[in-house]
Order: sequence, then C-alpha cells, then structure tokens
Amino acid sequence: MRRQLRSRRTPSFPYSYRYRLDDQDELNQNYLADEEEEAEEEARVMVVPKSEEEEEENEKEEEEEEKKEEEEGQGQPTGNAWWQKLQIMSEYLWDPERRMFLARTGLILLIYFFFYASLAAVITLCMYTLFLTISPYIPTFTERVKPPGVMIRPFAHSLNFNFNVSEPETWQHYVISLNGFLQGYNDSLQEEMNVDCPPGQYFIQDGDEDEDKKACQFKRSFLKNCSGLEDPTFGYSTGQPCILLKMNRIVGFRPELGDPVKVSCKVQRGDENDIRSIRYYPESASFDLRYYPYYGKLTHVNYTSPLVAMHFTDVVKNQAVPVQCQLKGKGIINDVINDRFVGRVIFTLNIET
Amino acid sequence: MVGGFSILLWVGAFLCWIAYGIQYSSDKSASLNNVYLGSVLVLVVILTGIFAYYQEAKSTNIMSSFNKMIPQQALVIRDSEKKTIPAEQLVVGDIVEVKGGDQIPADIRVLSSQGCRVDNSSLTGESEPQPRSSEFTHENPLETKNICFYSTTCLEGTVTGMVINTGDRTIIGHIASLASGVGNEKTPIAIEIEHFVHIVAGVAVSIGILFFIIAVSLKYRVLDSVIFLIGIIVANVPEGLLATVTVTLSLTAKRMAKKNCLVKSPEAVETLGSTSIICSDKTGTLTQNRMTVAHLWFDNQIFVADTSEDHSNQVFDQSSSTWASLSKIITLCNRAEFKPGQENVPIMKKAVIGDASETALLKFSEVILGDVMEIRKRNRKVVEIPFNSTNKFQLSIHETDDPHDKRFLMVMKGAPERILEKCSTIMINGEEHPLDKSTAKAFHTAYMELGGLGERVLGFCHLYLPADEFPETYSFDIDAMNFPTSNLCFVGLLSMIDPPRSTVPDAVTKCRSAGIKVIMVTGDHPITAKAIAKSVGIISANSETVEDIAHRLNIPVEQVHQRDAKAAVVTGMELKDMSSEQLDEILANYQEIVFARTSPQQKLIIVEGCQRQDAVVAVTGDGVNDSPALKKADIGIAMGIAGSDAAKNAADMVLLDDNFASIVTGVEEGRLIFDNLKKTIAYTLTKNIAELCPFLIYIIAGLPLPIGTITILFIDLGTDIIPSIALAYEKAESDIMNRKPRHKKKDRLVNEQLAVYSYLHIGLMQALGAFLLYFTVYAQEGFLPHTLINLRVEWESDNVNDLEDHYGQEWTRYQREYLEWTGYTAFFVGILVQQIADLIIRKTRRNSIFQQGLFRNKVIWVGIASQIVIGLILSYGLGSITALNFTMLRAQYWFVAVPHAILIWVYDEVRKLFIRLYPGSWWDKNMYY
Repeated sequence: MRRQLRSRRTPSFPYSYRYRLDDQDELNQNYLADEEEEAEEEARVMVVPKSEEEEEENEKEEEEEEKKEEEEGQGQPTGNAWWQKLQIMSEYLWDPERRMFLARTGLILLIYFFFYASLAAVITLCMYTLFLTISPYIPTFTERVKPPGVMIRPFAHSLNFNFNVSEPETWQHYVISLNGFLQGYNDSLQEEMNVDCPPGQYFIQDGDEDEDKKACQFKRSFLKNCSGLEDPTFGYSTGQPCILLKMNRIVGFRPELGDPVKVSCKVQRGDENDIRSIRYYPESASFDLRYYPYYGKLTHVNYTSPLVAMHFTDVVKNQAVPVQCQLKGKGIINDVINDRFVGRVIFTLNIET
Repeated sequence: MVGGFSILLWVGAFLCWIAYGIQYSSDKSASLNNVYLGSVLVLVVILTGIFAYYQEAKSTNIMSSFNKMIPQQALVIRDSEKKTIPAEQLVVGDIVEVKGGDQIPADIRVLSSQGCRVDNSSLTGESEPQPRSSEFTHENPLETKNICFYSTTCLEGTVTGMVINTGDRTIIGHIASLASGVGNEKTPIAIEIEHFVHIVAGVAVSIGILFFIIAVSLKYRVLDSVIFLIGIIVANVPEGLLATVTVTLSLTAKRMAKKNCLVKSPEAVETLGSTSIICSDKTGTLTQNRMTVAHLWFDNQIFVADTSEDHSNQVFDQSSSTWASLSKIITLCNRAEFKPGQENVPIMKKAVIGDASETALLKFSEVILGDVMEIRKRNRKVVEIPFNSTNKFQLSIHETDDPHDKRFLMVMKGAPERILEKCSTIMINGEEHPLDKSTAKAFHTAYMELGGLGERVLGFCHLYLPADEFPETYSFDIDAMNFPTSNLCFVGLLSMIDPPRSTVPDAVTKCRSAGIKVIMVTGDHPITAKAIAKSVGIISANSETVEDIAHRLNIPVEQVHQRDAKAAVVTGMELKDMSSEQLDEILANYQEIVFARTSPQQKLIIVEGCQRQDAVVAVTGDGVNDSPALKKADIGIAMGIAGSDAAKNAADMVLLDDNFASIVTGVEEGRLIFDNLKKTIAYTLTKNIAELCPFLIYIIAGLPLPIGTITILFIDLGTDIIPSIALAYEKAESDIMNRKPRHKKKDRLVNEQLAVYSYLHIGLMQALGAFLLYFTVYAQEGFLPHTLINLRVEWESDNVNDLEDHYGQEWTRYQREYLEWTGYTAFFVGILVQQIADLIIRKTRRNSIFQQGLFRNKVIWVGIASQIVIGLILSYGLGSITALNFTMLRAQYWFVAVPHAILIWVYDEVRKLFIRLYPGSWWDKNMYY
C-alpha cells in the first residue's frame, strides 16, 4: 500500500520537484552571470562621457574587471563574453550603421564641453573675485604664522653638527653654506642698497601699502668673529663653531618697544657645564627694533633678516652636546610642545678633535 | 565584514600599517598618523559589520515550528492490547485509534470510522471539516477519503487506522522538507546593492591603481604612492552608506508594521515594492473566511443579501409573507447559539457555537429579525433531528408563537434537491401552490445559477402539522419518525459563500493600475474560486475564460481561439499534466489567472513559473501547505491571524490584519523606498568626487593636501548620515501606484544616469566649491594659489622650518601643518555647505523642489541642522584635538561656498525643468536618474 501511495504521488511530489530545483539553480547561476556582465557594461558606459584623455583609463578599468571575471568565471563561457564586449567596444568606437566615428558620443562630448567650459568660467570668476579681495602686499591674516619660528644657519638637512676639527672635509660644507648665506649681508651690498637707520626704535614707513619700502642695513661685519671676514672658517677649524640664528619673518610683527628679542642658548639636557662659554654677535644678543616691522616681499624688496651669531668658544669635545637656543621677549612663545621651532631651536654639537 | 567595501577598507588598513612599518624601520620617530588611520578603518569595518549583523539577525528555523505540531501521545494497539505511547515511537503498520479532538499521530489509512471529520485546512486549505471513512474515493492521496494526515485534527467521531507513513515521510513532513529545501535567494534590493558596490568598488580600485601608477611614474616614493592609494580608496568608498540603507529599510519596516504589515527582514520591504505578480491564496486573504448568506430565492425571484463585513445594509424586499415563513425556518431550524456574555459585541463579531453555515444563518437572522434567542424561546422546540451526511437534512418541530394556533410547525432545511423531493407544494407570495413542472424548472434554474456562483445552497421547507392528528400532547419520536416528512411546502433557497473582504476589490484594482498581476492560487473548488475571483476583480467583469466563450458561442472548448480569452481558470489536475513550457505560456498569455484545486507542490511550481518570467513574485498564504511556496517566493506573505506558525516562519512578511489591502500599502511603501534609496545613494555618491579630487590634484599638481583621510571619514560617517536617512522620509513625487513595477534587470537602483550626474555634474561642482574655499583660506594666510603648485615636497619636509610664502613670511613645519588642517576643515566645511544644497535638490528627481514643498519633509531639516551642528562641534568644539585634524575656522569661511551651493540648486532646477518640459528627449533620457 505504501508503494501504491508513493507511486501515485510521484507526479506531483518532491521526486520530480527536485529536478526542478536543480534546473532552477543553474538558471540562477546564469542569471547572476548576466548580472555581472551588466554591471560591467554599466560601469563602462558610465565613464564614457569623460573626456577622451580618460578613455585609456576606461580601457584599463575594463581590462582589470575582465581579469577579475576570468578568475571568478567558474567555467562560464568567458570567451563569448569577451567577444561580446569587444563587439560593443568596437561599435562604440565605430558605428557601422551610421558610419561615424564616436558618433554616439559626439553630442555628449559637445554638451560636456560646454558644461565644463561654463564651470571653468564660474571657477575663474570665483578665483578672480578672490584675488580682488586679497592684497598682494599684506596678508589678510597672520595668526597662523605667529608666534615667529626660529631657524639656524648653516643648515644641511640636519640639526646635528658632527665634525672633526682636524678633517676639514667634515666641516667644509658648513663654511660654504655660511659663506653663501652671508653674501646678501656683505657690507658693500648693504651700504649700497639699504639705509642706515637709527637703532633702538621701529623703522616705520608710512604711506600707501604699494609704495616701495626701504630696508635697514644689517652688515656682515656686525657679526664680528662670526662674519667670516677675519676667520674664513667661522671657527670650525679651531673647534669653536659659529652658528647663525634667524627669526622667521612675519609681516607686521613688532617686538615689544624698548625690549628687543634676545637670544640665549644653553645645554638642553645633561651637564650645563658642557658649554662653558658662548659669545653672541651683535653683543646684545638681540634683534634690533629697527628691523621691524616687515612690510612684505613685494614692497620691502631688500629686507635682510637680522641675525644673531652664536660663537661656541668653549664646548666639551668628543661628545654630543644638545643645545637649545631660545628667543626671549614679550610676544614670544618658546614652549609650544608640538612645534619645536617656534621661539626656539634645538641642535646638537659633536666636535671631535 | 568581508566582501564589497569591507575588503577595500581592510586592504586600506593593512596598507596603512605596512606603510607605518616601513617608515618606522627607516625612521624611529615616524608619525603615528598611519597607525591611527589603519585602526580607524578597521574600526569602521567592524562597527558597520556588527551593525549589519545586528540588523540582519533573524531566526528562520522552520523545522522547529513543525516540531511543535507533533502530537504527544498516540493510542496504539500492540500485542492485542491498547497502549498509549509517544507518537514518535509509531512505526508503519501500527494500528492506532484517534478520537475527536486529538491530532492525528501519523499518516494513517482508515480501517473504520464512526462519523469522523477532520480539519485539513492547514494542509489543503479546505476550510470545511472533511469526513473520513474507509472507502477509497480518489487516486490522489490528498483527496481520497480514507487517509488521515499527520498533524491534522480529528474534530469529531472516532477513527481506527493503520500507520502508513511516519515522521519526515508523511505528507506534512514532505512539505516541511520542501520548505526548508527551498534556498533563500537574494532579495532584489540585495542584488541592487551588490551591483552598486561593484560599480563603486570598480571605480575606486581602478582610479586608485591608475593614480598609483601615475604617482610612481611621477617619481613619488612607492610608500607615498601607497598612502595616496589608501586616500583614494577611502574617498571613494561611501563608508556610511550601507548602514544608512539598512536603517532606511528598517525605518520603513517600522512604518509598515504600523499599517499591519510586519516585515521580518528590512530588505523585504523593497522586494514588495518591486513585486510584479502576486499569487494570492483565497481563503482568509481575499475572503473573510466565514460563511455568509449571499443570495435568497423565494417567490420565484433571486434576492441579493449584503455580504459586507457588518451586514448592515440588507436591501432585499422583506414585505412578502413568504419571507416571513422563510425567516422563521431560518431562525428555528438552527442549532447554533451565541456564546454568553457578548451583549456589547457587534453581531458579526460575536462568537458562536455551531458550524460555519449555521453560524452564517444565525447571524443573518439576528441582523434582520433581532433577538433570535427570544424568537426561539417563543417557539419552543419540541424535537429535532440534527444534520447528518446520510439524510442530508435537518429538521425540528416547534410550537407556534401564536397562542390561538395549536398546530405544530415542522421546519426543515438541507440539500435543495433532497428538500424538493419531500415537497408537493411551493409557497409563492405567502400562498401555497402545487409544485408543478414550471415551478420545479424555476427552482432548478435558480439552484444552478446560485451554484454557478460558487455558493453553497440550502433549501428550506415547512409544514404545519394538523392539530387534530398531532394534538398538543402528541409525543414525537425521532427514531420511529411518527410524523410526516413528505408533501411539505417548499419555501425558498438560500445560498452562502465565504464573501470577499470589502476592501479587496479596491485593492485588486489598485494592483492592476500599479501593473501588478494578481493570480489566485487556491485549494478550493474551481467554481467557487472563479466566482470569488470575479467578485474581487481578479477576473474582471468583461473578460472571459475559454470555457465561457465556448459556452456563449455554443462550440466545443477546443475550437475557441486561445487568444480571445483574457482569463483562465486552471485546475490542479490540468496543471499536473502540463510541461513547464505550457505553464509559462499560460502565465505569459493570460492577464487574469485562477489556479484551483492546487496542491502545495503545484503552488511551488506556479511560483517558479512566475519567476521564470523574470517577475518578482509575492505569495500570500496561511496554511502549512503554503509554506514551501512562501519560502520560494521572492516575498512570502503570511496571514497573522489565520496563519499557521509554519507559514509565518517561512514568510518574509506577516499581515497582522489578514487583509489583502495591506499588501497594496506595502507595495506603495516599497516603491517609495526604492525611489528614496536612489535619492540617498545619489546624495551620498556626489561628495565622493569632492573627496577624491583633492587627492588627484595633490598627486598631480603637488598642492598641500586639501583634505585628510580622517576628515573624509568624518563626512562619510558623521555629517552625512542623518541627512541621507532623512531622504527616506521624502514623499512620493507622483502617484507611484500608477506606474509599472520596476523590471528587476532594467530598472536598476544605481544606473548610468545616476552615477554620471552625481559624479560628473554635481560632484564636480561641489569639488570646485570646496577648492574655492580651500584656496581662499590659503590665500588669506599668505599662500596664493600659484605659490602652492608643486610646493608639496618642501611643504611636507620636517627640515624646512622657514618656508617662504607669497609675502615673504617664513613658516615653520608645524605652522604649515596647522594651516593644512585649517585647509582640511575649510574643505570639509565647503563640502558640508554644498551637501546641504545637494540634500535639498535630491528631494525630487523630476519635480521642482517648490512643487514638492520645501518644508513638507521636516526630517530633512533635522538632517540639515545635524550637519551644521556636527560641523560646528568638530571645528570649534574638538578643534583642539590634534589627532582629529580639525581647527577653529573663521566664521566667514562658512559662507564662501554658499554661492556654489545656490548654483547647484539652480542647475538642478534647470535640469528638472527640461526633464518636465521635454519628456522622452535626449535630455530626459540622460539626465533623469
């Protein structure tokens, strides 16, 4: 009886149904494959309206995706898909019905050309307006560049001064660098270009902002022993190196009146006696007020940043000495944690004999 | 957490760590930025993964609900004695006894039965109790009367049978294995999302690799090029989008739950929207699932009764005295009673003790005549013979309520032909007329007509017993039948049907206009099925089946031209002999199809057939028999009240009120969410270009980096999230129920137009606006645009601490970096401001924003507010946390990009205007997404 029941059930019950399920699975696979192809087609068509330059990119993209598909292919007729894709591609490039090259996209390209041209016009207009609102002489805001940073010379990609006094090739590049840097401070040049203004007070030049401004002299000879005039090796040959310190230029920056910014150096970490003496030039170890304010590159053409030279006349030899030189004065900050160059500079001296 | 965007982000994270490793090995003080970035990327992947898992987590253990149905004990005859054993221990060949109220413990072949009736509704969909006896009546095991099925209930009587199948080999076990064997297929929206991920990932990877190659050939270090690659990937991948889509769908699911559609997985919401064929069960879904009086025939006339849910509007002529007699019979010859304690319940909702047709009659008379119990009390019942299947009538004898009339009234109802046999007269207009041939013919015509409507017809007759023969003290004896049962007076016919729900015809019309084909699939009889199909509009009034045409033209069915018929009624027997091609042909050629007498497997075949037509198929059902089809369907809809647990488990959606009309609401919501998801995706994709361009410009023109990777993540996962969800609340632009369902292979979620318009139009405009802001910030700080070009190497060098700007000012590295972060913030603000415009334009795809109403969707404004607030917090609140790369931005910079935002709005309005002005034009085809 059971058999009877089952045999009757056969036409409508799961045994035949299972076949259907299998068929269905296959169908699904094909369907998914279609899906992928379509996705690619769309992805490709999608980028079509880009300019011709980017067409190469399209092709590359396509190649990649095709490769991907080949890997995922699972024995599907990939050859066929390839062929179809080639056909579509060639039809896109050459439309045989209308016998036109890039016919389908001609109009699109034209419209996009106008669209982008007008966008370009808009951005040009915007930039033009931007330039109208910006003075070429004075920056609109200076809060990001304040307080001033500090930099030293010679600088050769590193703040470690390692040299051997008896081997000139280890310090020669410092000398060359300093010499080069100081060319602009030559006394003759300074006297010719710049004016000798009274010390101890701001050198304020009223007048329109587009007027050319005069600059105060900072002569190389102010640096005395570190000027390289008497000792062309800046003390490196004797193990008493000169290092020049320069405060970053900031338009409109004025140190406190009567209280010029001073420089002072000391051992940053370790025995304070590692540096037994430093000489500063100019002797005041300060940046004179007459060099401020700065009026900007365009009008303050010959402005030369004031310098303070540190002459490390007696430093412990044959060991690395970390040195920190700080600016001191009102309006100067020298203890920003993140920025080790604002108001201070740290370098190491390692002089070997 | 794997696949799609996640893979890309994992790759990005690992590249970050590798880059840091290389940096660290060459320079111990390398910055930890790359480590942070890698960790953030991994965090993003894991969080979105967990989120998706949380949303998707659902239990679909169907078998467990089948387990619940296993009867605990079975009474079995073994070793010549009756034993009670757990049903699992039954084996084939056991003899079991089942009595009324028990569940059948296995598939059994009936050996003997006493008045046994079983409830097969969960298996076959037949709502009436089925008698069971030992006769073999049909080839099909489901239709023969001598097999009781496992898990069905024996309602009354007792049955003894032999076990022929147990456990999984039972019919119900087969269905269970069918249901669990049907694979879970990807929902249409999942396919769409995958397609979208393919596109975006393809663009990201190819642009990334292209620029990697460009960067290497521009003599960048490979390490730097790798970092560019990471940036490009991060900029291109919409990290927050998948989470947004999930949230959007769940929000809609919640909204639908309020409208009585409980959706199990959010994705099903959209599936419902793309539905193109609904295979609907009849009983309970289209109909009210209760017998109701539909027609009456007396005085040679057919009257229509109100079959709406409350019966309030009975308009037929009640003045005839025939009606008075008929109503008396209806009231008295009825054993059904209202359950006590329901005085305040509306009549139609009162619970009744009694079978379906008696209940129908009771409620019918209660509505028309008032208190039935009172009438019955006045006409005291003397004796009665209840209905049984052998005599096919029910009879009772009453005293009359007229105190002067001492006669007894005998009332009788039953199968019309049996009743007519017992009658010799017929009552017309209150007078008895002899039953001649013409009246008999009229009776037959009416009977055929009502039967043809698929209704169950009952005949009613009465007889006043002469007082002299039957005095008041006469004792009636049922067994001896000491009273006449022939030569009665025929009063009328009354037909009953399970009527359609009043909301269904309207809902079916709506489905029609929405381009959705409604197919009825039922286990019920073809005539009933067709009648209901006609009354709800599944077969429309003016369409005919092949059989109808044959009948009308009086020609054989074979000669009818197949194409003339719009509708088809296909029975399970016909379906059994069909190949799948023939089925496809039927499904493709007929607009209006009814499948009747179908088995669960055939339902499955029908669903598969529909799916072969590339249709998205919704199936409704309530019984266990429906569960395989529910599972197979793209979206299975179970009935919440009438539905069995198995059906609810197999379904993706449960209609809490069992109302077909709720499906229409669901379809509307589903279509709306598809449209709105398009908007969301378009909105999200737009800013990708604005995020991507900075990297490309950075690589090619050597500008300081305009926007950092972390900042991009803050846009993708911060400011943009709420606005993109807000688009889900957008109202429909036009009547979405008047267009065809989307073709699942042609109408994609992300199509070419959407991508092109988002990337190459709005995206580019946005990038320009953001760059303007970036240049403004740099220029006002001293770096005019032309000084920025090819500044990258010096700018990023840690050793250059006196970099000159346009004004001759000198910048330390950290000051520059801080400025760079200000640039990031500015670019961020630029994108943010323009995304507000983008959000507004995305409210509509075709209509003007002003047609749609700028303020109708309040959530959009919440989104905009959230954008601004998050932006302000990031810039001003968290500006001091260096790892986030945000700085305080001057207030005026917030307004630099506003003209661009307005430009975007205007441009999009122009686009929409042209689309509306020139439908079908080149512009419409290319610019409408």
